[in-house]
Amino acid sequence: RVSRPEQQVRGAGASPARRRRSMAARYDRAITVFSPDGHLFQVEYAQEAVKKGSTAVGIRGLDIVVLGVERKSVAKLQEERTVRKICALDDHVCMAFAGLTADARIIINRARVECQSHKLTVEDPVTVEYITRYIASLKQRYTQSNGRRPFGISALIVGFDDDGSPRLYQTDPSGTYHSWKANVIGRNAKTVREFLEKNYTEEAIATDKEAIKLAIRALLEVVQSGGKNIELAIIRRNQPLQIFSAKDIESQVAEIEKEKEDSEKKKKKSI
Amino acid sequence: MATFFGEVVAAPSRAGGDDDEEAAAEREETPEDREIRRELEEKREVHILWSSKLSASTGSFTDEQFPCSKFILAIGHNAVAFLSSFVLNSGCWEAIGSVKLWNEWCRTSNTTSVLPTDAFCLFYKLISDPTVLLCQCNCYVAEDQQFQWLEKVFGCMREEDLQVTILSTCPVTDYKTPESTLTLPSPFLKALKTKEFKESICCPLLEQPNIVQGLPAAVMSYCQVWQIPAVLYQCYTDVIKLDTVTIEAFKPVLSSKNLKSLVKDMSKSTEILKKLVTTNEIHNNIYT
Repeated sequence: RVSRPEQQVRGAGASPARRRRSMAARYDRAITVFSPDGHLFQVEYAQEAVKKGSTAVGIRGLDIVVLGVERKSVAKLQEERTVRKICALDDHVCMAFAGLTADARIIINRARVECQSHKLTVEDPVTVEYITRYIASLKQRYTQSNGRRPFGISALIVGFDDDGSPRLYQTDPSGTYHSWKANVIGRNAKTVREFLEKNYTEEAIATDKEAIKLAIRALLEVVQSGGKNIELAIIRRNQPLQIFSAKDIESQVAEIEKEKEDSEKKKKKSI
Repeated sequence: MATFFGEVVAAPSRAGGDDDEEAAAEREETPEDREIRRELEEKREVHILWSSKLSASTGSFTDEQFPCSKFILAIGHNAVAFLSSFVLNSGCWEAIGSVKLWNEWCRTSNTTSVLPTDAFCLFYKLISDPTVLLCQCNCYVAEDQQFQWLEKVFGCMREEDLQVTILSTCPVTDYKTPESTLTLPSPFLKALKTKEFKESICCPLLEQPNIVQGLPAAVMSYCQVWQIPAVLYQCYTDVIKLDTVTIEAFKPVLSSKNLKSLVKDMSKSTEILKKLVTTNEIHNNIYT
């Protein structure tokens, strides 16, 4: 049965995968089959699965790395604590994911074991790039085995290396990974990435506080009902992962809104 | 009858029983059986509850028939969501009735305030033109209940100048075509109309040997028999859940004569559609 990617509600134009449907239909059954024009459709469909997860944004500051996620609304009887998008992989590395929850759990468990295994073997904590490469290789292996489907998640991995430099990496279902200054994955990623391209400046990340505000502002572009649907985590150099409380996030959001009001008032005055 | 091993076995005859046998079967039904059957029939009865507002606004009694010029019926959750986002929000509609029924698959409530995830069958009337009636049927109407449903719904309407439009969905795997189903551009619309329907239709007619089943078929048969102009727009789709692409495949229907005048303001439709789909998705924990 041919799977169909989830569509955003828009006026015109179907996603490219949908237009290629007739050809895709013959080449997307088995993961190991290339299509005549060189596509691995299962991998591309896995990327569509990522778009069904809620937004996650990562910002690399000078002395801080920030992860912000859109908290998914839970059913009334569900415990909120069990829906976590930001997870620590080690004391100095953490990641946020978007996509299939169950796949993320498997990857996080394997990555955590690898972090400790590395520490025991070479007596050094992993570098962020090492663990990212491990996760990416794991994902790639599943795009080349028969009978197995790719992992349907993208991950943002942040942390500090031993030499003190902050890192932000992003992996996707195909098993590629890249280093980023700021990136976003999940639903509405395009909108938020455009915001970040405009607003990620030297001043915007000059201090820790500014970097945190940038992450929240980026999320507010797409998160409905503001601060109570945002979860934020930071790592400062030589400090463990710190998850913000709802109160702290609300106060940040209030500050941001006040700044916005003030700048609009200034604009009106100058006109 | 001879079996493979060569022995002869007496087999029951398919020639049909003679009168003695049938009478014997009749005599076997006890009063208890009759009571059970009666109770079951009662349980499966279809009740239509009209709100008291109906009689007040049309000036007629609920027992009498009210005039109806357009009847739009949506069957299935995708068609229902389509009408909710494109028609119900761009005009003033009033909920005037609901259907209360029970079968093995679903039970509807008898209130007009329902969640989008419930099973329901509600009737709406356009406030600016009370002869326009809209029905959202999100429940399963069993085969033995369809006739009752038809009689009770159409029994309330005065059928002069009535035009019926039905929207429903069907799995594309049920679509019979000499082409390979892999090349079908699903979702796609196909139409079926009664003899009296003379307006233009906004999609190709459903080809043979495809057939329509269920409540849409029952309504079309009723309209054909009673010579009511009716058209059914069936969307063949490969997604069984509530799905925005399937819902949007109904859009050509908005240009039809019956619905064109009802859709004045489509600006909020995207928002409402998104909300409907996400309400359904909250309970879906697969993606985080």
